[in-house]
Amino acid sequence: MLEEQAFIQELLNPKTQNKAFQVLLSNYQKPIYNHIRNIVLNHDDSDDVLQNTFIKVFQNLKNFKGESKLFSWVYRIATNEAITFLNAKAKRNGMTSEDFQQKQIEKLTADSYFEGDEIQLKLQKAIALLPEKQQLVFKMRYFEEIKYEDLSEILGTSVGGLKASYHHAVKKIEEYMVSN
Amino acid sequence: MKSFNLENHPKIKPGFATPENYFEQFSEKLLASIPSEEKPVISIFAKNKKWLMAVAAVLILAIMIPFLNKTNSENQNLDTASLENYLAYQTTISPDELVSLLDYKDIEAIETDLNLDDATLESALSGNNYIENYITE
Repeated sequence: MLEEQAFIQELLNPKTQNKAFQVLLSNYQKPIYNHIRNIVLNHDDSDDVLQNTFIKVFQNLKNFKGESKLFSWVYRIATNEAITFLNAKAKRNGMTSEDFQQKQIEKLTADSYFEGDEIQLKLQKAIALLPEKQQLVFKMRYFEEIKYEDLSEILGTSVGGLKASYHHAVKKIEEYMVSN
Repeated sequence: MKSFNLENHPKIKPGFATPENYFEQFSEKLLASIPSEEKPVISIFAKNKKWLMAVAAVLILAIMIPFLNKTNSENQNLDTASLENYLAYQTTISPDELVSLLDYKDIEAIETDLNLDDATLESALSGNNYIENYITE
């Protein structure tokens, strides 16, 4: 925690800011990319959202009060950016977010940056049928293995609520995997 | 009936891939874009601070000129009135003493101010009961 405080000070100090930001970027870009990719599914869109996320992080460093962990704060920005991007793109295409996501899933087989086998594709299809919140919780817990306490800070939901969401998501996925 | 248990099943990965060297290139691209995103914004006020302050000072002085003039003239009027009242009601100062303080120019100025014509002078003198005493003196 003390280390994080010192790192935050480096990020806030104009003299050390750029160097500290490079460190933040190298530590966070892969997990944040994976997080965004799990939400928006397509690489090019993920690239755009990742860039917007880090620009936003940089621009808002001065507003970061250290009330939450830096990790949670960056994830929260990434999640908001990814969901906003997805909703805006669905709207531009005249679709609901759910329909748009189904279309994205159908495109996965032709996506050169999707290397999943049959079961991986099936899991993606099962996830896409879940409500938005359950999708988020499942992806962040199962794929990204984020602890419930951290998930609670990122998503602003109680640990109990998150566990319930994850449990429901797993049950629905398991049913889908058997019946399809 | 078939069953599927996600927790017991070997971990299923998302299956996404990225282009080669994507993260290295992303870092470079982002770091290159950030300085241009974050150029310090100098407000018009900060940029022209000296000039704006000079203009403000001149404006304040310009606005204050009528007030300053008014205040001064009021003070002068007040002083003259007080002085006149003081002199008029001070019984210890005789008209002769006052006259002795006036020089030729002052008397001429009083005459100009009064601007008396002969008729007015005559009527004023004829109304004065002590005019004969003054003449004999």
